[in-house]
Amino acid sequence: MAVFMDLNITYTTDKKRLRSVIETAAHLGYSTVAINYVVDLQQKKQEIGKPKCVSELFDTFPIVQGKSRPIKVLNRLTVVASRAAHFKPLREYKAYDLVAAYPKTETLFHAACMEFTIDIICVAATEKQPFFFKRSSVEGAIERGVFFEVSYTPAIRDSTMRRHTIANALNLMEACKGKNVIVTSGAGKPLELRGPYDIANLGLLFGLSEEEGKAAISTNCRAVHLHGEMRKTALGIVHSMKNEQPLTERQEEEDVPASKRAKIEMAQ
Amino acid sequence: MVRLKSRYLLCEVCVSDRSNLLLLDDRAIYTAAKAAVARAHGDYGAALSSLGFSVKYLNAHTGIVFLRCRKSHYRLIWSALPFITSLENRGQRVPCFLNCLHVGGTIRTCQKFLVRYNTQQLHRMLPLCQSEGMRWSQIYFLLLFCTLLLFHCLS
Repeated sequence: MAVFMDLNITYTTDKKRLRSVIETAAHLGYSTVAINYVVDLQQKKQEIGKPKCVSELFDTFPIVQGKSRPIKVLNRLTVVASRAAHFKPLREYKAYDLVAAYPKTETLFHAACMEFTIDIICVAATEKQPFFFKRSSVEGAIERGVFFEVSYTPAIRDSTMRRHTIANALNLMEACKGKNVIVTSGAGKPLELRGPYDIANLGLLFGLSEEEGKAAISTNCRAVHLHGEMRKTALGIVHSMKNEQPLTERQEEEDVPASKRAKIEMAQ
Repeated sequence: MVRLKSRYLLCEVCVSDRSNLLLLDDRAIYTAAKAAVARAHGDYGAALSSLGFSVKYLNAHTGIVFLRCRKSHYRLIWSALPFITSLENRGQRVPCFLNCLHVGGTIRTCQKFLVRYNTQQLHRMLPLCQSEGMRWSQIYFLLLFCTLLLFHCLS
């Protein structure tokens, strides 16, 4: 049984609802969930705040159906981008495990694929995409390790949005050939979640093959998680752990090579 | 010899309020599934679901459903199941969703999976039971359910 992840649960200030959504996700078999804070910087007085501490929600996390581990909850930020200037503040991004962008124009989409330090690019689900996906930008994103996200909850709620979601998803598949896609819910209520095998099958409607559909909720999501971790820790070189010295590039270039240093540490 | 192969979809009906579960019957799920397939795949879907599609078993207490479809079309019908948002029964709407647990070729394989699934559920829920009485009732309940299913399928 692979590890299934659902990387988009809309944040609500109602704690009880959030709790019930996460409990339902654990019941359905998702090992990891991410709470999504959406920020639209075009509206005035919206700032990227700090995410709420995850341990506030639960004392003991609910155990995932079929495994013995508790569910893992991450924090994710989605920036609705209408201007490139919105991507300046990098300090606040470090507090979040995953960062996503929702580009509204073609130039921003291209910039997001090539330059911005993000993990996920959201594909519109509630409206028809105003621009087409250019294969050059999509391929650039795939090389960098950025993933494209298709959200399925609008499709469940309404029929016109269903058409838009499927149309946009098929458009994306033509450009990216099924690589680097993740499928997530945008669930605000526990009844809007669906089981992992159902979603892998929904991938068929979105133009993914059977294998790609299963990968979209398991291996690709794991890759996004790792990408987010690498972004936080500067390519995995800087880690902060208790009682251990952080290894930075500068230290590695010092006189004592790493193998010798390990021996010295063991001898002590 | 031509053997008619079918696929059995083992689904669980998830409701937010457990007492609503008891109101459901197999006809409600049948109509809801047919309507969802017709909405998602149009006339082609409606035609497919009229061929060899049936609700074989429904347990109102635990919310387990067996849906039977033809092997050639089960994927299409399965892909329309996530779009079910509510079930209607005698004028009452129950908001719910279907979670597919397992796809099997025969009822027997689905039942084997179900027994394993129920034991996992038991392991999950027993620590949460507050009293000894509740625990025994859970175990008894699940055992009863397994034997009922066996009788139903063998008959």
